[in-house]
Parts: sequence; structure tokens; C-alpha cells
Amino acid sequence: MSDRVAIVGVGWSGFRPKTPDLSYKELMYEAAVRAYADAGVDPRRDVDSFVTVAEDFIEGTSIFDEYVPDQLGAALKPVHTITGDGLHGLATGVMLIRSGIARVVVVEGHSKASNLLTPDTILAYAQDPVLNRPLRLNTHFVAGMEMHRYLYESGTTREQCAAVVVKNRRNALRNPLAAYGADLSLEEVLFGPPLAWPLGKRETAATTDGAIVMVLAAEEVARALRQDPIWIRGIGWCNDSPSLESREWGNLPYIQEAAQMAYQQAGLRDPWNEVDVAEIDDTYAYKELQTLEALGFCGYGEAGSLLESGAFDLDGELPVNPSGGSLGVGHMLDATGLMRTLEAVFQLRGEAGAHQVEGAEVALVQSWRGVPTTSGAVAILSN
Amino acid sequence: MTFLERDPLAPQAWFGNLPAAHRYTYGLAGERFFRALKDEGKILGSYCPKCDRTYVPATAFCERCLGELTDWRDMGLVGELHTFTVLYVDVEGRPLETPQIVGLVSFGDGGIVHFLHADPESLVIGMPMRAVLKPPHERQGSILDIQYFEPFQA
Ligand SMILES: [Zn+2]
Repeated sequence: MSDRVAIVGVGWSGFRPKTPDLSYKELMYEAAVRAYADAGVDPRRDVDSFVTVAEDFIEGTSIFDEYVPDQLGAALKPVHTITGDGLHGLATGVMLIRSGIARVVVVEGHSKASNLLTPDTILAYAQDPVLNRPLRLNTHFVAGMEMHRYLYESGTTREQCAAVVVKNRRNALRNPLAAYGADLSLEEVLFGPPLAWPLGKRETAATTDGAIVMVLAAEEVARALRQDPIWIRGIGWCNDSPSLESREWGNLPYIQEAAQMAYQQAGLRDPWNEVDVAEIDDTYAYKELQTLEALGFCGYGEAGSLLESGAFDLDGELPVNPSGGSLGVGHMLDATGLMRTLEAVFQLRGEAGAHQVEGAEVALVQSWRGVPTTSGAVAILSN
Repeated sequence: MTFLERDPLAPQAWFGNLPAAHRYTYGLAGERFFRALKDEGKILGSYCPKCDRTYVPATAFCERCLGELTDWRDMGLVGELHTFTVLYVDVEGRPLETPQIVGLVSFGDGGIVHFLHADPESLVIGMPMRAVLKPPHERQGSILDIQYFEPFQA
């Protein structure tokens, strides 16, 4: 059994809003080959178990596990697929290693969002079929209602939410993997087309295609493989009641719980002073502020003014989403947690290039499965 | 190979779909809740004495302590507006000609998500909202037996 688990290799394919030239298997293959080369492992010989995250309705097939082994080098090996965010996959990899079942684990997530011809219809199937779905509402209504209640309870303003978009899309201009870099004014976001008032369309992440593969290893293997493994110091996950009728709307108690689980494992007491860079949910702009508060970086209702003071800028006290986040990179469906983890690995290796946070040693990654869910996860990584 | 190198005449993709139809069983609590809505025009909740929480729509068990709930209560038709949104796209993502106003109206510790009939400018979180039901002979025992909520003046 190994207590410490490290990320020893990362690979990616994309990211691009459309990938008409490649099948999803080819996206996964490209990411896998890169990750194995980065880790210096032979998947056929060295990898003990493989985990993918995927949702059948999004893939357009039933029993997606069947479509996984070949392009990862996982045929005739232990493989399983879970319907969760990439961080749930990462947590599963950590458990496989810490339980002693495996020493080297591969975790994969991908997005072929551009092939979804009816994405809103598929998302609507996530609504409660008896209580909510008969109303035939676009699922973004959940985000509009949550944003409204969050603004009401916390005193956060629409301007502060719009400022998240300005920051993240500017950060994305420095990230070659980001498709949605832009230099927008606050007014262009605030007075853009509405989606689910008070939520605007420009405050909602567009999708992108890509695949991410990570190689995880037990400590002794990790040290043998490379000088600079990235350690997974803590990982936590949590779900609230899914019911729209009885959940909390102004707060994210499930993110608080997931964070506490990760912080306890990592021995982290003071996130503001101990975390150097954070890649967190910004599927909708307000979520970044609401999430920062749930993670304990500041008090409830304080994230908006901290953002305006520049605290979360690339050169601020706590850079948040230096990659550009989902607003800047593009949302990658269930691969989103791994997209953020990939960015954290770049930051901790000092390989983030133009959006490098100087001297980053501890990174926080957080992800949410999106509307209408109350499903989230948090990971703490260090170099 | 990149996009730019592709032969534009080469076959690119197969188009398919996943038709799926289901029966969603209401269950013991759902059947009783929707029967009361249909036959008596009532919104029912269920109370957990241990947690002091009232679930609306009524459930058969408490999600906090997992106790069975047997104390059913008539919640009336007037609740409190907890939050709302103005939705500009339909379920398939197409722009709506007339935006939809949708809200959560609180009853007990739960509530009902439904359409709101009002000028959105006049709506304020916390205001009382009343359920407007379909006439009894048109009700079928579903959430659509409620037509919408409207502002309520006592
Ligand atoms: Zn209870």
C-alpha cells in the first residue's frame, strides 16, 4: 500500500471548439500516447488499471465502457467507466493506488461536444422527470435561479459576475489551449444577449472538444519515473440533495464538504495563504465567486469585491483560473475536472508559459457537474 | 492530419439518434401527492418530527434522518417566492419569442418549481405567490395540474 499518489504523466488532444477531422477514439488515442510518453510508461506493460469518465447520453451510445479499452492500450486489462466529473475519476485512481490494488493507474476524460446535435435536449433529461421535466424548460433556468438567489443573499452584483468573464477570457489569450480568449469590456458582458436573467449568454461557457489522459503512480514508482512528480495531497467529493425543491440555492454546502474532505487529507488549514493557484468552476460566471466562498478563500459575499480589487488576477494574491477557465478554454463536459487538473500540473511544473503563476507550489482544483446537479469535487495538488 | 488537409468530399460522419421512452412511477408518496392535487386541489407536504422539516412535494421518507414520514400536511396554495429567472431559450436551446418566467415558490422547507404569471419587474424575492390550478375536470394528476403561480394579495 502506498500513502502518496502522484501524477507522473499528462497528455491532451485538442482543445478546439470543433474537431471534425478526428473521432473521439482518435482524440483519446492522441492524449494517451502523449501521457505515456510524458510518464515514460508502456501502457501494455506498466499500467495496472484504467478509469474513464463518460455519460452514455452524451456519448450517444449505451454502455460506453465497451468503447474505451482499445485506444488507451487497455484491452485485457482492468478498466471501468464512471459517470462523473474527471475529478471523480482522479479520486477513483487515488483509491485504486492507496488500496494497493494498483501501482500505476490511467485516468481519462474527453469531450466531443461538437458532435452533440441536441445538447440542450440531452441536458433536460437530467431534470426530475416527474416534478420538473413536464414544464419543458431549458435547463439553464436552474443557473438563472441560482444566480438570482446568490446575488440576493450575498450582496454580490451583476457587475462583479461580469468581471469574472472579463478576467478569464483575458487570461485565455495567454493560453494556447484556450479557444475563447477575448478582450471584452465589462459592458460587453453586462449588456450582451440574455440567457436566463440575471444570467447572460456571455457569462455562460461555450463547449470545446478534446481529451485528457493522466498517469497516476504510487510514490516509489513515481520517484523512479521522474524528478518532478505532482502529488495529489487530498481529494474530496460530495453531493447535496438533488431536489430543486429542497436544496440550498444561495450556498454550495456540497462544495464546502468536498473541500473540507480534501483539506483534511492535505493538512491544509488556511486556503488563502497556503494555496498559490486555483482552477475552479466557472461554467457560469457567478459560480466562480460562489465557489471561492464555499472553498473558504474568503467570507460569504466577499469574493466579488476581492475580484474587483485584482486579488484573483494572474498577478494577484490568489490567481484564479489563469488558464482562462471554462469561460476561456471552453467547457469540456465531464472532462472539465481533468482539464483543470492538467492546468494545475502545468503550473506546478512551471510549464504554463505565458500564464505561469510564479513559484506556484500548491494548487487547488475544483469541479462541478453542472446544472441541474449538486455534485462537486475538490483536489489539492503540490510539487 | 489536420482539418485543413482533409478532402472535403470524403465521407465525414454518420448521423444517428437515441430514441428513449420511459414510464416514471410516482411511488407511494408521489401517488398520494398527485391524487390530492388532482382530486382536492391541495399541495401536500410531509413532516419529519425528528428533523423538524416539512418536505414539499411530500416524500415518503426524510432525506436527513431516513425516517419514514407519516405526518402529511395541507400546505395551502400560497407560498413564498424563493428565487426566479426569465428564460430566453426553449428546451431545445432555440430563442423564445416570449421569454418564460420561472420560479421556485417555497412551501415548508421545500417548494414547487413552476411558471410565474406576472410582470417580472413587479416580482420580488420573498413575496407571496398563489398557485392557480386547472379546473378539476382538466386535471390529470401531474405537476401540470398547476397552471402557474401569480402574486397574491391577502
Ligand atoms: Zn428527519
